[in-house]
Amino acid sequence: MKNISTLLLFVFLISSCTTTTTLYSWGSKKKYDYHTNSYNYLKVSDDESIDSIKKSYIDIIERQDGTRKTVPPGIYADYGFLLLSSGEKEKGTELLKLEKNLYPESTIFIDRVLKMLNR
Amino acid sequence: MRSYFWIILVLLISSCSTNSKLTKLNAYSGIYNEQPISILIMPPINRSTNVEAKQFFHATLHVPLANSGYYVVPPFLSMEILKRESAYDSELFLNQSLDKFNEVFDADIALFTIIHKWDKNKIGAKVFVEIEYVIKSTKTNDILYSRHGSIEYDASVSTGVDGIYGALADIALSAANTAATKYVDLAKVCNRYTLTDLPKGKYSTRYKIDGDDLAGKPKFKVRLSAKSY
Repeated sequence: MKNISTLLLFVFLISSCTTTTTLYSWGSKKKYDYHTNSYNYLKVSDDESIDSIKKSYIDIIERQDGTRKTVPPGIYADYGFLLLSSGEKEKGTELLKLEKNLYPESTIFIDRVLKMLNR
Repeated sequence: MRSYFWIILVLLISSCSTNSKLTKLNAYSGIYNEQPISILIMPPINRSTNVEAKQFFHATLHVPLANSGYYVVPPFLSMEILKRESAYDSELFLNQSLDKFNEVFDADIALFTIIHKWDKNKIGAKVFVEIEYVIKSTKTNDILYSRHGSIEYDASVSTGVDGIYGALADIALSAANTAATKYVDLAKVCNRYTLTDLPKGKYSTRYKIDGDDLAGKPKFKVRLSAKSY
């Protein structure tokens, strides 16, 4: 049992040593896997899947190992949108503005969304 | 006799090549001319018999496009707006003017994905997918990028770690693996493989300097697995 645990720990260490060579990193695999959580959100959109995709967003925002060392396009805005949908207006709006600041090419779209929400 | 062997071998190797003889600058001249910054992901068009194929592909398009250096219009926020504007069915817009998408999302280009086929063999270890990726300019409505793939995917799970440790981890993972995770991986690998050919966008260090790279074939057949990337 001890041997198996040691082997699994070794495998984990090897896999965690790999460096990201892409522009962005997308969260740690398994628990916060962005792709799987996106799929679950698209498929069911229940409380559990919304909670999981929010955790993926937090993970991606807090830890960026990509070569740009910055949050990928769309992440602040999609996270902000989910918060706005669950009634967290202030924090949601703040995140939409962060998307605009980080990616000025989003300005027209984000302003349109903010205007729509304030109607 | 021996020389025939070598000729046949060379012919076989060259016919397996996934590259065309065109450079990216020639194959995707519209992209180099227009220099698009932002891309809108249209909800995939599913013409296959697997109803979930749409979600598998939709969930996995954001990452390869962002990693190629493009500004990706927030995928879930844009999906919500498309639904509100009764524009969620991409099929309706495939051959229509995209002016409105330029105006509302300020997107320079839009990606349409058409899943033509999704078949699996009896034990489910292999999946055959036929999929088309079309990128259109929202300003000119021209097709700037088009690839059509026939993909055979080995759906057996793998951690991507080689050797005895990889095998052990694979066994551990297989136990916890679900069909959904397996097919999310399939869509991820297909999207990444096909979109790797896309000329790099503004945020890539290779922006505007990858024109001499060889382009992939517009129609291709390939075998992929979770280990492919």
